Amino acid sequence: MATIFDRLKKIVIDQLGAEEEQVVPSTSFTDDLNADSLDLVELVMAIEEEFSADNRELRISDEEAEELKTLQDTIAYLKDKGIEDE
Amino acid sequence: MRTAICDLFGIEYPVIQGGMAWLGTAELASAVSNGGGLGIIGAGNAPPSWIREQIRATREWTSKPFALNIMLMTPFLEEVIQVVLEEGVSIVTTGGGNPGVYIPTFKEAGIKVMPVVSSVALAKRLERAGADALVAEGLESGGHIGETATMALLPQVVDSVTIPVVAAGGIGDGRGLAAALCLGAQGVQLGTRFVCAEECVAHPNFKRKVLEARDRSTVATGYATGHPVRCIENRLTRQFQALERGGASVEELELLGQGKLELAALNGDTEEGSVMAGQIAGLITDIKPAAAIIKEIVDQAESIIARLSNSYVGVRHG
Repeated sequence: MATIFDRLKKIVIDQLGAEEEQVVPSTSFTDDLNADSLDLVELVMAIEEEFSADNRELRISDEEAEELKTLQDTIAYLKDKGIEDE
Repeated sequence: MRTAICDLFGIEYPVIQGGMAWLGTAELASAVSNGGGLGIIGAGNAPPSWIREQIRATREWTSKPFALNIMLMTPFLEEVIQVVLEEGVSIVTTGGGNPGVYIPTFKEAGIKVMPVVSSVALAKRLERAGADALVAEGLESGGHIGETATMALLPQVVDSVTIPVVAAGGIGDGRGLAAALCLGAQGVQLGTRFVCAEECVAHPNFKRKVLEARDRSTVATGYATGHPVRCIENRLTRQFQALERGGASVEELELLGQGKLELAALNGDTEEGSVMAGQIAGLITDIKPAAAIIKEIVDQAESIIARLSNSYVGVRHG
């Protein structure tokens, strides 16, 4: 059983090369993990892939992506889209 | 030589001129378009009124298709987009970021959009957002650069999308065009080569600097700012490197860079100014009309492809 946070944390570690202890809900992708704009594009694509299901393809628009600055923001966004902890 | 890019834009040859700030003016863009390629006006950080004038002048000097390159970091972004819509520009290329949020605006106006990308993820995302084609630009390019070389980036971008891909970065002649086609590109975009077009308004000192450049003449500076730039080495780049080594702040570095391209490109100060050029500068040894440059590139590529086919394909059989 993985929470949204756990799944997101794994993506952030893989995509941004972050250390496990660096990644908490308030971690900012750019300010804390030095992600540049291309890193953010890759991160958003990876989040879309992870949280898409057979019956529900997750598409994060550029406008929405701009608002996702921390893991917390992203968790709230995903919950809003009807995705739940497993 | 005819490719998907020719059909998409209604041009004769798959040769595109990079939309260089200050140098991609109506003079150069119209000359390239008249030569059968795709000329591009470089909006850079220029004010909207200048861009409008350039569009009108280009239209006066050529009846062929041309494009406008929008640099997404410009302080005038919204106004530049407005000018594009008002003036009925039919092709837009973008640089310096992710144009995803603007693509619907262009598509609704029937404008073809070809963003410049330096990563596979952005390429995929922009295809999904409705881009008509992409320019995959390697770090050999002049000006703002990505992190991957053209030889490695191009086939990866080609494999990740279904829309046509144009190669940029490190291409200066017909060998570069032939190589790009081998890697799956449908065309090439050249900036530095067209700096040395007769019609390019670059100061003679700037052109001379490109002609004199050798293989190791360019350096990339500004990695610390997040927006690295490739230029021909001079007093300015050495000053930049010294500041970077000293751990200067992003603000200090950006301040040093301000206005420096104009200083070199138009005023001809190639020591204190920023001589943005790609690694291919060392290959360029002459100034000639844009149309002759295009013809030479296409002729050379065609003869190389024919020669390679004769030399290597079918050797087994005979």
